[in-house]
Amino acid sequence: MTMQLARDAGAAALVVTLIVASHVAHGPAAQERSLTAIDVPSSRPTPRTASGRPDLSGYWKGTRDTKPVGNIGKDLSSWKLPLTPAGEAALKHNLTATVDPEALCIIGGIPRHNASGLPFEILQGANKVAFLYWYSYFRLIPIDPNRKHSDDPDPSFFGEALGRWEGDTLVIDSIGFKDERVWIDENANPHSDALHVVERWTRPDADHLHVETLIEDPKFYTRPFTYSRTWVLGRSDEELQEYSCSENNVNKDHLGFGPGPIRSDGTRGYVDPAPLPAPILQLPRPPK
Amino acid sequence: MKNGFVVALTVVILYTGGTLLAHHSFAAQYDATKTVRLTGTLVRVEWTNPHTYFYVDVKEDNGEVVRWGCEGGSPAALSRRGFKRGDLKIGDTIIVDGYRSKDGSRLVDAKRITLADGRVVSGASAGDGRPQ
Repeated sequence: MTMQLARDAGAAALVVTLIVASHVAHGPAAQERSLTAIDVPSSRPTPRTASGRPDLSGYWKGTRDTKPVGNIGKDLSSWKLPLTPAGEAALKHNLTATVDPEALCIIGGIPRHNASGLPFEILQGANKVAFLYWYSYFRLIPIDPNRKHSDDPDPSFFGEALGRWEGDTLVIDSIGFKDERVWIDENANPHSDALHVVERWTRPDADHLHVETLIEDPKFYTRPFTYSRTWVLGRSDEELQEYSCSENNVNKDHLGFGPGPIRSDGTRGYVDPAPLPAPILQLPRPPK
Repeated sequence: MKNGFVVALTVVILYTGGTLLAHHSFAAQYDATKTVRLTGTLVRVEWTNPHTYFYVDVKEDNGEVVRWGCEGGSPAALSRRGFKRGDLKIGDTIIVDGYRSKDGSRLVDAKRITLADGRVVSGASAGDGRPQ
């Protein structure tokens, strides 16, 4: 009887612990360790380089205000992309005949990386800027107003990117994209080799990074559309870590085609998952 | 009774239910309608990217022992949540609750792991997919 009481009391205490721990795990401390951050106003001024340009360098984390994350149609009504018939066919192909390229450790490219839930890091120099991504991918972009796009750039996932300053805005103009094994976002939306992306990056204060993106693809989209987003500065002790995508990619042999279900909130993922069995609370046996 | 409280309060719960990030959509691989509970012996741990895997030998009703692969978040993701490589000890009996792979293979989205010491940890990478 005494032992039973002890177990009951222990179980009750455990329930309390569960509740408390759950709140702790979702509080500010958990936020700081997470890949996203809470957006808060900043009074710190934009840092600038010796030449007076804004310095975009930093480890940048998305916020929960970016909804739906991973969806390039985020800023469109009902997230509806203006697909051409060819774009519709390409989307159908992606949904029914392709495995997520990123899950196969193929570079996600632009603009997909800008829509990702993952943080990224910028290192800015005087004449080049580097965007460093989880997966150990990068793009290195020249900042030179006199550079012109190649007549026939070799197709790539990030495209041929050229940077220039317009006042305090870093403009990155990219063409020359691949048209196979690419998804424009995590929901398997398509883009073609006619993709043209213009990113306008600003750092309005020390703690925020913003992009306005113009996406044009006359093969797959009836009109240009935009994608805008704000990131917040990570802590000084946060940075990218090694992430070897192909080290142990067991999934590649088991993934189905497409992104899986798209939820009503515009993100991919489980829809109404069946509840898991109740946890088994294993309390150590009391001493005999 | 006092001891009961002490024991219970030392149990650390690391399970979180929030959306996390992975390099693939878990919903494209795992079936949200097919839950599974595995109780077995931990035989192998792969603390690797893009995801961690650990393998459990489970004795079925007919006495046959079958090996299941359990997929968790990336090492960085799990570490951020306080789930460390050393928490998984070969030979331990653990319980894994999760969802089965759609392709019928013995792979599980390891949403919840009950360790041998009673701790309950989240192994999940995402409901959605996106390293995390």
